[in-house]
Amino acid sequence: MEIEREEIKGDFKPELIPSETGGDIEDYEEALHVLMKFVGSMASALEQVSGRGANAIVYQAGKRMGHEAGKLTEKTDNLEKALDELGEILGIDFYFEMWKPSDQEGYTIEKGDETVVKLLFMDCVVRQTLRRTGLPQKGPLCYLLYGYMVGAVEEVMDIKGKLDIDHVGPNACLKTLTIKWGGK
Amino acid sequence: MTTIKVDEDACVGCGSCVEDCPNDVYELDQEHGKTVVVNSEDCMACLSCHEICPSQALEHDNIHVAKRLYIDRKVSNALKKII
Ligand code: SF4
Ligand code: SF4
Repeated sequence: MEIEREEIKGDFKPELIPSETGGDIEDYEEALHVLMKFVGSMASALEQVSGRGANAIVYQAGKRMGHEAGKLTEKTDNLEKALDELGEILGIDFYFEMWKPSDQEGYTIEKGDETVVKLLFMDCVVRQTLRRTGLPQKGPLCYLLYGYMVGAVEEVMDIKGKLDIDHVGPNACLKTLTIKWGGK
Repeated sequence: MTTIKVDEDACVGCGSCVEDCPNDVYELDQEHGKTVVVNSEDCMACLSCHEICPSQALEHDNIHVAKRLYIDRKVSNALKKII
């Protein structure tokens, strides 16, 4: 297949931020695919070198990013409000909703000093990356999202949290978020 | 609300969807050797059942379809030259 390239010509000074940098949506899509491929290869290489330790490394990286992102929103001790705000942070690329089985009354379950809620991730860039690269789900790259989510929840609510995988599928993944009240 | 359709002519009654569905949405009708939907309200549209079904007998209507940039053939063909 022939790749058509349109050359962009114009003046450019380093101190000026151009209103547009050229390229259309397909160029961005292409760039995204290259990135996906790179990230996928990196994750599998990391796993090859560090084995299961890869998950921990990636989880920590995600958690750090989550804490940074969580700083952008107002703190709250209301879990549903926190999840709404996190939905804004994660954006449409990690579109999630709270989920519950039909026979369960509310979304959250209280267990002693813990609150448990199930989250259904419908759109996920990590899933797309893994499937783009032919890698299985639940690997190190998924831990980036777990870490990110946990870090952001911890930051917004000032508590300790953890995220477990219930199920991964090609169209959606179900995770359980457990938060522990009583400080970090 | 999600509607799940089973193509009865296509279903070979292997029971893979029954085994794989985390929310017990299907049951195998032993008499007819076909899967039946018994609990569609607990379906979370993960589509694991689609992936495992050997005869593409399942259809989910009215679900959120996740973005799948990775299957764009045009982009994938263009990319073969780069990576
Ligand atoms: S989409 Fe997922 S939850 Fe729904 S029937 Fe299939 S496997 Fe079960
Ligand atoms: S996996 Fe497909 S063929 Fe097998 S029982 Fe389910 S619907 Fe039928």
